[in-house]
Amino acid sequence: MPSHLNVPTKYWELTKECPPPPVERDEKSWIIGNPADPVWDIDVLPLTYTDSRWSAFVVRVTEESRRRLCPNPPLQVWDGENADLVEFWYVNHTNTMLGPYLEFGVTISATYKDPKGNVWKAGYYPYMYLTGDAPVDAGRVLGFPKKMAYIRCTEHGGEKGNDFFGFAMTRNGYLIHSATGQYDDKPVTPPYFYGKTDWGKFNMKVITRPDVSSSEWQLTYLPSELPPEFNIKGHRFQIKPEFTRTASGDAINWFLQGTPFDNMGTELDITEVTGLISFTFDLVIPPAQVLWTETYERPASYRGYATPYKYGLRQQFPISQGS
Amino acid sequence: MGQHVQERSYPWLAEGEVPPLPLDRDRIHIISQGVADPVFDYDIIPLTYTESRWMAFVIRCDEKDMKRVLPEPLKLHDDIVEFWYVIHKNTMLGPYMEMGVTFAATYDSPDGVTYKGGYYPYMYLSNDSPIWAGREPFGFPKKAAYIAAFEHGTNNNYFNMLMERRGYILHTANGRYSDKPVAAKPAFYGKTDWGRMNFRITTRPDVTNSIFELTYLPSELPPQFGTGHRFQLDPQSVRTATGADIRSWFMQGTPFDYMGGQIPAKEVIGLISFTFNLIIPPAQTLWTKTVERSADDMHHVLYSQPFKYTMRHRFLLPQYSQG
Repeated sequence: MPSHLNVPTKYWELTKECPPPPVERDEKSWIIGNPADPVWDIDVLPLTYTDSRWSAFVVRVTEESRRRLCPNPPLQVWDGENADLVEFWYVNHTNTMLGPYLEFGVTISATYKDPKGNVWKAGYYPYMYLTGDAPVDAGRVLGFPKKMAYIRCTEHGGEKGNDFFGFAMTRNGYLIHSATGQYDDKPVTPPYFYGKTDWGKFNMKVITRPDVSSSEWQLTYLPSELPPEFNIKGHRFQIKPEFTRTASGDAINWFLQGTPFDNMGTELDITEVTGLISFTFDLVIPPAQVLWTETYERPASYRGYATPYKYGLRQQFPISQGS
Repeated sequence: MGQHVQERSYPWLAEGEVPPLPLDRDRIHIISQGVADPVFDYDIIPLTYTESRWMAFVIRCDEKDMKRVLPEPLKLHDDIVEFWYVIHKNTMLGPYMEMGVTFAATYDSPDGVTYKGGYYPYMYLSNDSPIWAGREPFGFPKKAAYIAAFEHGTNNNYFNMLMERRGYILHTANGRYSDKPVAAKPAFYGKTDWGRMNFRITTRPDVTNSIFELTYLPSELPPQFGTGHRFQLDPQSVRTATGADIRSWFMQGTPFDYMGGQIPAKEVIGLISFTFNLIIPPAQTLWTKTVERSADDMHHVLYSQPFKYTMRHRFLLPQYSQG
């Protein structure tokens, strides 16, 4: 006789440690699909992080490259102090409400002038990669450009126990980036937005209709000052300065490349790797404001009838040999 | 002195192997974020699959359980459930593994038309691009998981499937094909008047509202592709197993994935496996509902007590990472 076992464990009924599924709640609490069992849920809100480890390479990027990566309209690249310094960062998130995960991103200083003449200043993210599905999707709702990748962040060895570092990221079998080296704790000039509460974060969200007839672009803005409900005054990145380490450009070995699936190594024209700043921090992510929207309509003839397999390299995928 | 190298070439463009870089296109040709390098892109439209291998367990569930996870405005058709794995080899989103559950359901539109379709309450995939290409425009409820599906041994007589997420096994089954008839099949099998339905939820970045949409993928091919069902089966490839041939079956709910707790199988009726080609066209939207959130609701949704649901926030750390 075959052995068939179904363990009908309803964790949300067994313990108060899990929320009931959306279909058993008020529909106002349905945030994301699917209502039976969403990829992330109301129990992650507000997004809070403790003791995350941020490791930010500071790189110089040409103005032409920065202009290209910040979509205009509506964004302008920052043209003030240290405008060419771009943050190229990894994070090890250990305690989050979306599971522990590793993250990578690029942040460019940019501004947006609204129709009333207000100038919004923020770091804009053209690229992000993460190791977990829930934080990718939760971030994409706010407009973050997240993809999934294989990411590694390591600090180890030496007198202080974390003198050496190694960071790497691959996707679809291609190495996108690798950096290794040793902290020398020399001064590194950060990007202009560092520590400033009047600089938030920008993302460009794209919402496409199910019939692909149009896509709405939304410029979203995350303020650095928290809403009063959080009862936290100051910047929503709370850095623990005693854990900060730095490395100068000379202490870093660096490799970056474009791949058929990920163009960051091609689009980001880096002229200098100036250093690395690593620190430990707590973080709260509030809801985002929408500052600007524009909808792009597609003609009926557009809808999904391009030539299949036209772009061979993107559709004949590498098959992992070592899996 | 550190060594710094960046390979910015993109030789595949000149050879026509990859599409133009997104930042060189008109904005109507960007369908997903990030706008500099989308997680899925226009070179995948239309979605075409060849030689995929579908392995569908047919199970019977309790109709009361099924109705509890079926959202408004859908009605349940019967208690036969398709519980399926797929090996996708040749797609435009990369090779990937997939698992899903399909209920036969109907929707009565205000104009008197009854739409019939397989509705997906749960789906899991192994790769990011197909997850968000499914979630964002169409509303497929996709999450990421470790998925394995094998047919092996003499004449590929033996099968084995396994799915895991966050360290918990969600499901496994193995056995031997007997090629005997399966006692029951899902209502939608082979019928062009039964499409597929998904429940898309799009939440504003400021979380002040969520738009619920019932989306519908017809089974008849769009005229541009010819006639017939968009699942094209190879009849020579069909293998079957009865419930008694399924040597072992194990399914359970977990703190992060409620499927096993929500729809435990009352009976495992059999397994139907086949090889097929597939086209996924754009989706229609049959029904829409917008849920607005007042300031009071926002307090409930956004500023709830952090870490209230501890089992979902104190995550497992893998003990035997292969990193």
